[in-house]
Amino acid sequence: MKCKTLHTKIIFFLEGELPAAEMEQMKIHLLECSECAAFAEEMKKTLAIISNEKTPQLNPFFYTRVKARLENQTEQVVATRQVPVLVRILQPALFSLLLLAGVYTGIKIGQPANVNSDIPVFAENEVVPYFNEMEAESIENFLME
Amino acid sequence: MLNASYFQSPCLIANFQEFKFGMTETEIIQKLQQGNEQAFKQLVGLYQKRVVNTCFGLVHNTEDAEDIAQEVFIEVFRSIQNFRADAKLSTWLYRIAVNRSLNFIRDNKRRKWFQSVDDIVRGKNASIEVISPAHSETPAAEMENRQRANILHEVIGSLPENQKTAFTLNKYEDLSYKEISEVMEMSVSSVESLIHRAKLNLQKKLYNCYKKKCF
Repeated sequence: MKCKTLHTKIIFFLEGELPAAEMEQMKIHLLECSECAAFAEEMKKTLAIISNEKTPQLNPFFYTRVKARLENQTEQVVATRQVPVLVRILQPALFSLLLLAGVYTGIKIGQPANVNSDIPVFAENEVVPYFNEMEAESIENFLME
Repeated sequence: MLNASYFQSPCLIANFQEFKFGMTETEIIQKLQQGNEQAFKQLVGLYQKRVVNTCFGLVHNTEDAEDIAQEVFIEVFRSIQNFRADAKLSTWLYRIAVNRSLNFIRDNKRRKWFQSVDDIVRGKNASIEVISPAHSETPAAEMENRQRANILHEVIGSLPENQKTAFTLNKYEDLSYKEISEVMEMSVSSVESLIHRAKLNLQKKLYNCYKKKCF
């Protein structure tokens, strides 16, 4: 038997699933080939982990936890069902109305105060009367005082 | 290749246990449908180990396996009214456990993708599974076992879903090919083929790992 053949059948050999003749050939090869024997040993150890993991420690509080979780979920479902339909509808409706009122108020505040005048008055069009400071109070008069 | 040991049905043992606990499977189902809490407690007691074991075989983490198993029992309690007596209760439980575990793995993959950066920053390694001291003699042996377990979990995890499910039910739960076929709703020959391919894949991946000196 070649090493390559052994590598493709080692798992079935370790589980005793090969025909008797092939099992015997594998055994002989493993006795002769140290490299294959080392690989077979590694495979055996690795697959043995499954057997070790198969019997996990039973959690003594498992049922208590399942029950608590079940009750918790039931309470949540009941709580959701108990909320009145009116509250579920009225609450968003009220908030929507408040939002609309806020927007309307904002628009109203933003509008110019004198909306009734025909000619709109803007700051740049305003005529500022010329004021001659020098004529009103000359620097000489100021210093004389 | 069928082995006689695969046909030693654990359901026979289960039936014996049911009688030992005082209620047959049919009685448990009937009482559960009436909302009997005692029947639910008995059901959890009877199947806890098997459900946790199945989930562990797929997710490879004790806490996650227990968490999923709890969800399985909750689902059973909630949907027992829909249970038809044409299937065994254990088959139904295994099916829910497998589906829940596979969903968990899929969700976890998505979550891991988003959390990978965070995990790198925190230096977390989610794949490390703590091996109980009972399985290891020395710290070196414990380390070796842990490494070996991580490799095995990774290799089993990399198998296609169907192969992984069939292999897990066969190896972790010792279910016969017939029982697996009932859980997976496929023919016995398909299950046989799935397990054979799973073993070949496992062997190939472990050999590649051995060549790279992973062990």
